Amino acid sequence: MAEKRKYKKRYCKYCEAKVDFMDYKDAGALRFSLSERYKIMPRRLTGNCKRHQDMISIVIKRARAAALVPYTVTRKQVVVAPFENLK
Amino acid sequence: MRNYENLVIVKPTLTAEEIQASVKAIEEVITSNGGEIIATSPMGMRKLAYPIEKNERGFYHVIYSSIAPSAITEIERRFRINEELLRFVTIKYDTNREIAAFNGMVEKAKKAAEAPKVETPVAEAPTETPAVETEAPAATEAAAE
Repeated sequence: MAEKRKYKKRYCKYCEAKVDFMDYKDAGALRFSLSERYKIMPRRLTGNCKRHQDMISIVIKRARAAALVPYTVTRKQVVVAPFENLK
Repeated sequence: MRNYENLVIVKPTLTAEEIQASVKAIEEVITSNGGEIIATSPMGMRKLAYPIEKNERGFYHVIYSSIAPSAITEIERRFRINEELLRFVTIKYDTNREIAAFNGMVEKAKKAAEAPKVETPVAEAPTETPAVETEAPAATEAAAE
């Protein structure tokens, strides 16, 4: 009867680490919730809870405005470890 | 009075002294509008995630301050006029949780300012910076995952 679950049952890593506040200046820490094209990853893939997903989406948008994280990358710009050469 | 954080990106084409003068002028704008600077932390010259006005890099400077909310419009207007600024971001710290985080960041910034300067990104030539710093983000990334 039950459909097979497409993804593994996830848990919120931010809840586990008891994160209360995220700093937009720490671009490396935002990497977890970003895809390799710097889209914000959906909750169903990362397992973030609603509260932390709201927090991270605000923080990522701030970091984008401050040019710490790109808005988009084109096919030529996609690299494996993007934050290495950001500095 | 409310706690704010101003992040400003100064043009990389200026010399080190001109950047310092520009940062001074920016802080002057805040103080002249009744703001009180609590701490500052220069993040130094770093690569921008995307080019702004055809500049690939920029000098990041963060100012933690306590400003009257009504003065923010005037400060931002002055920032917009300033042609040495590529970008500025103003963040409000209002709720209890945010204020606690704000105080933590202020403490960190003050400690960094007091400590003997291990790396002085201002004095170095901007082209040489990337090689030194590549190891640090890898560690934070691993910790995040």
